[in-house]
Amino acid sequence: MLSRHAEDLFWLGRYVERAEDTARMLDVTFHHVLESPPAFESTAWGELLEVLYLDEIYEGPIDGRSVSTYLVTDTDNPGSIVSAIGRTRDNARGLRDRISTELWEAINVFFLELSEADLNVGVETRAYELLGRIKSRCQLINGVAAQTMPRDEGYRFIVLGLMLERAEMTCRLLSIRYARLVGSGEPLGFHTWVSVLKSVSAYEAYLKSHDASLDPSSVLEFLLLDPEFPRSVLYCLRQVERQLQILTGEGQQTGVERAIGRVRARAEYCDIATIVGAGLDPFLEDLQAEIYDVAEAVDVHFFRSGTDLQLHAFQSA
Amino acid sequence: MLQFDEIHGPAGVRPHYEQLMERLSSLSATDLADRFSMLESIFRTLGITFAVTGHEEGLERTWPMDLVPRIIPSQEWRDIEAGLIQRVGVLNRFLDDLYVGEQSAVRDGIIPRWVVETADGYIRDAHGITVPNGARCVVSGVDIVRDGEGTYRVLEDNLRVPSGISYVLENRVAMTRVLPVAFARHAIRPVDHYGSSLLRALRASAPPSAASDPTVVVLTPGVANSAYFEHAFLARQMGVELVEGRDLLVDDHYVYLRTTRGLQRVDVVYRRLNDEYLDPLIFRQDSLLGVPGLVGAARAGNVTIANAIGNGAADDKGVYPFVPDLIRYYTGEEPILDNVTTYVCWEPDQLEVILERIGELVIKPVAEAGGYGIVIGPKATDETLSTTAEAIKANPRNYVAQEVVQLSTHPTFINGSLAPRHIDLRPFVISSDTIEVVPGGLTRVALREGSLIVNSSQGGGSKDTWVIDQEVDDVVQAR
Repeated sequence: MLSRHAEDLFWLGRYVERAEDTARMLDVTFHHVLESPPAFESTAWGELLEVLYLDEIYEGPIDGRSVSTYLVTDTDNPGSIVSAIGRTRDNARGLRDRISTELWEAINVFFLELSEADLNVGVETRAYELLGRIKSRCQLINGVAAQTMPRDEGYRFIVLGLMLERAEMTCRLLSIRYARLVGSGEPLGFHTWVSVLKSVSAYEAYLKSHDASLDPSSVLEFLLLDPEFPRSVLYCLRQVERQLQILTGEGQQTGVERAIGRVRARAEYCDIATIVGAGLDPFLEDLQAEIYDVAEAVDVHFFRSGTDLQLHAFQSA
Repeated sequence: MLQFDEIHGPAGVRPHYEQLMERLSSLSATDLADRFSMLESIFRTLGITFAVTGHEEGLERTWPMDLVPRIIPSQEWRDIEAGLIQRVGVLNRFLDDLYVGEQSAVRDGIIPRWVVETADGYIRDAHGITVPNGARCVVSGVDIVRDGEGTYRVLEDNLRVPSGISYVLENRVAMTRVLPVAFARHAIRPVDHYGSSLLRALRASAPPSAASDPTVVVLTPGVANSAYFEHAFLARQMGVELVEGRDLLVDDHYVYLRTTRGLQRVDVVYRRLNDEYLDPLIFRQDSLLGVPGLVGAARAGNVTIANAIGNGAADDKGVYPFVPDLIRYYTGEEPILDNVTTYVCWEPDQLEVILERIGELVIKPVAEAGGYGIVIGPKATDETLSTTAEAIKANPRNYVAQEVVQLSTHPTFINGSLAPRHIDLRPFVISSDTIEVVPGGLTRVALREGSLIVNSSQGGGSKDTWVIDQEVDDVVQAR
């Protein structure tokens, strides 16, 4: 498949996941703030910006209305939901002959909906409804992709992008929220844990496999290492590894496979008690750096496709 | 001046429209409105839009298709088809003769050499580039109009990168959804085999050194191009890659595709990019859309560029008046389809007549496309006419003059009721070892009352075009 298409599909997966994650975290933050003391407001919104890597770019006031407008509708913010879906649609347009018509329609309809609705009003007065719709539209896109795309390279690249984005997002969420709670030494608030779990749609799943006591290290273990929960870091990394094995051909020892093998193994064989004892931060930092390495290796291997080297191989052949 | 209407003849509704009109008149105003909104939503959801140029908003408009189809009876179509096969066959021969042959038409004085070589689309670098089966115009879109007597005439040959076929196919799909009953009452010749016919023709044009299963790609300028939808559509219909210049790479006169599994050789490039953007080594150096070395690879016989480079030497408005003579010259037959009567400004005696009758003629700049720059004498102000006359005198090679053709009208829904609007027809012709015409083509409608400009970029609409298969129709009607 064309390198350019592979790259666009990969980013299509990433953008949709990013939009969905952003919507979910916004939703959770809104309700978390509602149930917390007023002083907590700016902390919560500031942290959200940090999770999304936007804290250094954002220049507006740290309050619910400004931050959420920035994250939903601001077209100057490349990380806003409107921007992400706009880029998803741009990519999809360029991929019309690569993706199913149903998938294109799902993306196009979502884009048109976003561009027609008065989102600023939505953000202020009906956040729950608006964010709920955004989440379900993103899920619709992923569902349509899963149900209409053949399991060819193209589909693999979408899933690859999606799973890498999700792994990164979950790591990031943990590192910001957990570090603050542990670092400040305050008792871990029940609400905060609930909000962390809800941010990755994990609250119900967690309660089913554990209980409502919300022991910090078991929450951490669940979000990092649960083999069955589709948003845990380990689950995502295994998915990434699976896609890469298929894309490169089983048993190949390429740079991408080494990179994913390294980070997946780090997650797979870690011990939560040790990590918590030694401090979560260094562990998460390493994990994030290695996830970043995977993205980089994917870029070199599939998208830049080492053109120059291969050209020489052709000439000497 | 005589005016031909496609539906209403001197004796009422023409027989081949009776069924349709009966069905349409049985629909209530609400029914009609429903069907129009269905149409709108079909095209909108599919993202079938086109860009309108010259508007500040840079608008993307939904493709405007009318609910009333145009019907061409099978006998009329037989003549059009034969005329197109004859004409395009000759244009292919003329081009092949010009670029890789003896240039016999020029040598024998059928057309002046200088007219050919000053044509805007004549490309000196195309000399010596062979096309395996001589099909230099794999896809042509020939614009046909109907004059006051109802005679079909060729208005323009488009042999470079004619667009519109995707709309023909999508109009058909939309039509079967919104007017299924009317559709079923006719035996309409299908159009949906276009993709496979085109792919077959492109494969047949692959260079001899290509693999037995040649790799074909569609080369697009990119998403920003107004016809991008069509490029993607065609790639999908053919099941081949849609590529941009940056996806291709030329090494040692071979063309390769950059893929996730390394480089892959390409044999045929169906390009939807004008000559001047194709290869910065030969044409515009500032163009990032093309592929450096592509023309060299074609010259080396390692890739086929379709349509071939330099086809503009045959569809130039200044060459057009000579096409009937070229047909006689190459085939010994009379043209089946006539031209519109055309005068060339560079012949002094013709120029004199043109200037005298400028208020009655249509003046066309030879290098413009898309209906731009045309002056319609009877509708122009005195001031426009005198500036035009000056421009012609200053540069006669740049203009031709034509008798006004009162394009036929076709009843069209305008704000809910039928009104006559001018139409033309662009059939699509595929050249390979034989020449095939897609039944029907794109019927374009000038939506403004009285307007003769049908181009979609200037506010034109379209109609599904039905060619009746007479033998099957007799059976259908007898039921």
